[in-house]
Amino acid sequence: MPSVFSFPRISQLATLEPSSPSRAWLTAPHPTLPLLATCSSDKTVRIYSLTTFTLLSTITGGHKRSIRTCAWKPNLKGESVLATGSFDASVGIWRHYDNDMSPKPKEVLSGLDFDARDKAIANGEMGENAEEDDEEEWRFAIVLDGHESEVKSVAWSTGGNLLATCSRDKSVWIWEEVGEDDYETIAVMQEHEGDVKCVAWHPEEELLASASYDDDVRLWREDVDDWGCCGVLRGHGSTVWCVAWEGVVPEIFGDVEDGQKDLKEMWVKRREASGPRLMSCSDDLSIRVWRRRPKEKVQQSRLSIIRSGSSEEDWIEEVQLPKAHSRPIYAIAWSKSGRVVSTGGDGAIVVYEERWKKGSIDPKSKKTGDQTNGVDGEQ
Amino acid sequence: STVPPSAYLPDPFSPSSSSDSELSDDDDAEIEPIDEQEIYDLISPISDPEHPLTLGSLSVVNLPDIFLTPTFPEKGSSSPLTTLTVLITPTITHCSLATVIGLGVRVRLEQALPPRFRVDVRIKEGTHSTAEQVNRQLGDKERVAAALENGTLMGVLRKMLEGCENGAG
Repeated sequence: MPSVFSFPRISQLATLEPSSPSRAWLTAPHPTLPLLATCSSDKTVRIYSLTTFTLLSTITGGHKRSIRTCAWKPNLKGESVLATGSFDASVGIWRHYDNDMSPKPKEVLSGLDFDARDKAIANGEMGENAEEDDEEEWRFAIVLDGHESEVKSVAWSTGGNLLATCSRDKSVWIWEEVGEDDYETIAVMQEHEGDVKCVAWHPEEELLASASYDDDVRLWREDVDDWGCCGVLRGHGSTVWCVAWEGVVPEIFGDVEDGQKDLKEMWVKRREASGPRLMSCSDDLSIRVWRRRPKEKVQQSRLSIIRSGSSEEDWIEEVQLPKAHSRPIYAIAWSKSGRVVSTGGDGAIVVYEERWKKGSIDPKSKKTGDQTNGVDGEQ
Repeated sequence: STVPPSAYLPDPFSPSSSSDSELSDDDDAEIEPIDEQEIYDLISPISDPEHPLTLGSLSVVNLPDIFLTPTFPEKGSSSPLTTLTVLITPTITHCSLATVIGLGVRVRLEQALPPRFRVDVRIKEGTHSTAEQVNRQLGDKERVAAALENGTLMGVLRKMLEGCENGAG
């Protein structure tokens, strides 16, 4: 395929070992610390160091079936809190003091960090006592029961006070932390007509997006006292597997020609008025980017009479990313620099970058990197 | 009770140590081609959940309804990924066990084939009243995985696959 772009190669940095003996469903990087949680069908969550690439601890004993999902609670200092969602229909909350999270000597030994190992030896930390509390590090705090079948996704709101969960039972639940290890159900929303696969919070508003087996993406927010559906994004032709929000700060990409400076300014203004965009990926092999149509002032004054309309969201499909996958697309993420990564059943990892298209009014997304990784031994 | 994870290849999406050794054992790393007939031989001895008859003898699985295609045709031989599509023909158009039969075929293939195969099991067009619904269930990685964690269902599947274990060794 001829292209003016050079395709950077993605190379493997490390393999996290020892790994789970069975399917790893999801990996979640810690919001601030160099840690990664992976959840697995062996009913465990493994916490790895992203500096030494070694296993730090294994969370076991909380769930009776596959752990499908997990999420780190944001905005915490000195402590880490992890929510887990399982095929056993329950959600677990786990806690851990951060100062325990340094690599234990036995892991350091097998790891890459020889300095740390030497230091540990010098300090006399290499001993049996170091391993004693290995499994006690993570404390089970509370189980949230309510879903009737497999929990597929859990997500903390940006402030960390709300937890959203979704399930094969077609419902989306919102939980509020009302005290230490005390959570209350504040909403159960059942408008989806199929399994709810993924939930994701808007980065600055208490606005939740959900993706479903019913091919729709729904938006939810609190209106007066009740949480309810405030928008349905239709367009996908099959299961929507994942939704992801753009970061708060709009990134300006690429250079523009002189003649296009006005257009770029227009784009930036529109982006500021719309706020972060939403991206969704599907079994239909497409990735779509959705943009909010800002409410006009005139409309708002009219809507103050018709109360129920005030929370409605007006979203449009802005663009579909270039087709790169040949099997269902299961996961997407938006980087802080505005790049997008996707992966799916075809084992390919694809990186996209948004660029100005010559002579076009709208910036279109261009695929710039395409790298199939060795998911199943492919070279 | 559930089947231990090691008893089948549960996951076409994750690296498998067995496939690694399989590839490295072979000096020229040549992948042995598998043809439609071999696929048919893997699934035809599966027994129907209701009858003591095999899917082959009931013509639920048929050789002309098995298709092997490269997953990335544009990459040619640089990608070993192969998409395997098996179309099944239920004995009656409202067969309530079509999903279970499809699941049995899928589990059998994922057990027997190296993970470079992407397996699609679907109902042959026009042969079942709720084909679309069944196809979506069989294509959903999470529903399939959850089904395999269901002890009762796994018991039924194990029984269906009994003949295969002996036949295919």
